Amino acid sequence: MSVSSIDVSPIRPAASLRGLRLGGSLLGLAVLSAAALRFGFRPASWDIVWRALTAFDPNDASQIVIREMRLPRLAGALLAGAALGLSGALIQGMTRNPLADPGLLGINGGAALGVVICILGFGITDPAAFVWVALGGALAASVLVFLLGGGSRSNPLRLVLAGAALSALILALTRSLLLVSSQTLDVYRFWVLGGFDGILPSTLYMLLPFLTLGAGLAAVAAAGLNALLLGEDTARGLGVRTGLARATAGTAIVLLCGATVAMAGPIAFAGLIVPHLARWAAGPDMRWTLAFSAVFGPLLLVAADLTGRLPLFGGNMQAGVMTALIGGPVLIWMVRRNGVRSL
Amino acid sequence: MKLALFFPNACARLGVYLLLAATVFAPPASAAEPFPAVIEHRYGTTVVPAKPQRIVSLSYIGHDFLLALGEKPHALRKWFGDHPYGVWPWAQEALGDAEPIVLQGQIDIEQIAALEPDLITGQWSGMTEREYALLSQIAPTIPPKAAHGSYGSPWQVMLRTLGTATGNAVKADRIISRIEGRFAAIRVAHPEWQGASAVMVSATRTGAYSANDIRGQFLAALGFTVPEVANPFAPANGYYALLPDEDLSPIDTDALIWIDAGGSAARLKRLPLRHTLRAYREGREIYAGRLLSSALSHSSPLSLDAALDQLVPLLEAALDGDPSTPVSSMAEAGLLPEGF
Repeated sequence: MSVSSIDVSPIRPAASLRGLRLGGSLLGLAVLSAAALRFGFRPASWDIVWRALTAFDPNDASQIVIREMRLPRLAGALLAGAALGLSGALIQGMTRNPLADPGLLGINGGAALGVVICILGFGITDPAAFVWVALGGALAASVLVFLLGGGSRSNPLRLVLAGAALSALILALTRSLLLVSSQTLDVYRFWVLGGFDGILPSTLYMLLPFLTLGAGLAAVAAAGLNALLLGEDTARGLGVRTGLARATAGTAIVLLCGATVAMAGPIAFAGLIVPHLARWAAGPDMRWTLAFSAVFGPLLLVAADLTGRLPLFGGNMQAGVMTALIGGPVLIWMVRRNGVRSL
Repeated sequence: MKLALFFPNACARLGVYLLLAATVFAPPASAAEPFPAVIEHRYGTTVVPAKPQRIVSLSYIGHDFLLALGEKPHALRKWFGDHPYGVWPWAQEALGDAEPIVLQGQIDIEQIAALEPDLITGQWSGMTEREYALLSQIAPTIPPKAAHGSYGSPWQVMLRTLGTATGNAVKADRIISRIEGRFAAIRVAHPEWQGASAVMVSATRTGAYSANDIRGQFLAALGFTVPEVANPFAPANGYYALLPDEDLSPIDTDALIWIDAGGSAARLKRLPLRHTLRAYREGREIYAGRLLSSALSHSSPLSLDAALDQLVPLLEAALDGDPSTPVSSMAEAGLLPEGF
């Protein structure tokens, strides 16, 4: 990206405006979160929501729905949304490719293969048992992508190509395994849509360390990525260790996206669209883009999970389906309005 | 509304009576000249010219039916489980030392052509019209009847059709009257079951089998009423409907049978709303583990006896509405309410 294109950039919000936007988005997220507890297939009143949170009665069906189903779902959607938003912004910034998606590094493919082997080989059909195999598969595949993509000398193009090639290979392997067993397919086809059905608080606690570490590394990587956006040579000239910055960002992506796919399956589209929305609101600074991504991601996923639970969609549409149903039109609208920022 | 709820059931019941009547009043099959056998079905008419020697069975459960008639298929389609030749224990004796070729996965036309069959059966196979057109060029092919759809054929219809196609019509009728007699005797012995509600629900994902499904038909044959659980937006096909997680009341029946083909007891244990069901509090739940749930899902002339042997005592314990007489399979799966 040339220096001039930054100068003529039409939207360059003042810092105060940016802060206001972020505050407004957080407020919106709070309102949406409250709505996610209140609304769903089973009707509930604000009074029941309040009692479920403060004076929980474990024999009341409505309170059980709120406390044991909607609350873990909300927590899962918040965490997964933030993780997908952050990892999406990192990979688009790192590869300077607006079409990059965290799934590109073989993470989703690896997790899917892990799950299929788990169902087919060990007859495990309980989605709660998929967490560790999915995480293991995701980490293994992404390490392989980084090795194939050139190890420490990796450049973004090689990395993306290695990721695409390995993903295709793993997908073919997964499909060939699915062809053998219709029972495996039956369990897999719900997992692969991605969503927060039956999510357990214990799963969230287990994955929290990965997410925290990933978010911390993302914050560290932001400054380095800012320099990298000016070009490899300029960044070096500024004294940035580009290899280290990429490795930090890459590790953050793998941790964040891997933990998300383990928690909720491969949720489509969120990692792609959220950074676009965030850059539109934040301007070119990577640190602000990350901050906005960490708020817009949860906004999208909580909204997707909430609408998927409404009677309109039968009360059990997967959040992974709804993210694309909601996010797709938003992205098209942005493109039509020329609201999409280049990298 | 009430009528609409009642009607499908009445239909199912009527269907059972008609079938019963049909067995009683059916004219004796002309045992002298069973071939060529003519079979009407959803895609047209199939003529079996002579007694088949190499049967390829594409129905996931069809080999049970053939074995019940004494016909050993040349090849069969494995459904699930890890039993020899994909044949479950209740049919192993009938299989004897036969070594059928085991087909897996989707219908593979080339593979089937290479087997050189003289009859292809698939009344519970999901066979499409296009697949039927190709298969019937290889050999006479038997898809389900138009009235029942891909996975809704009653076991009596499937057995009678296979009996006709293999020249075993008399034997088929004999088996049908014996098993229907057993169902009738159980109905007579359990007047309290007649009209009570019962449903089979998959434990893997909470989804109810409807009255059209062979599992719903099983319950109807015992006199139960199977509730209509419709969810217009969930993946549904008339045989099975997913329930929204937030409302399990449609399956809160007088007997709630959890179908678990593998390892979902842990999921049931933590299913949040289960504890609010009357069926849970009053001990009306039945856990059908791998063998029983598979026997129910096969609903074949060989598996029905095994299913009844196991399920009837469990239903008796569940239907008394007395939580102090726990259902033994629930205890074995560790699913009883605390204090039992």
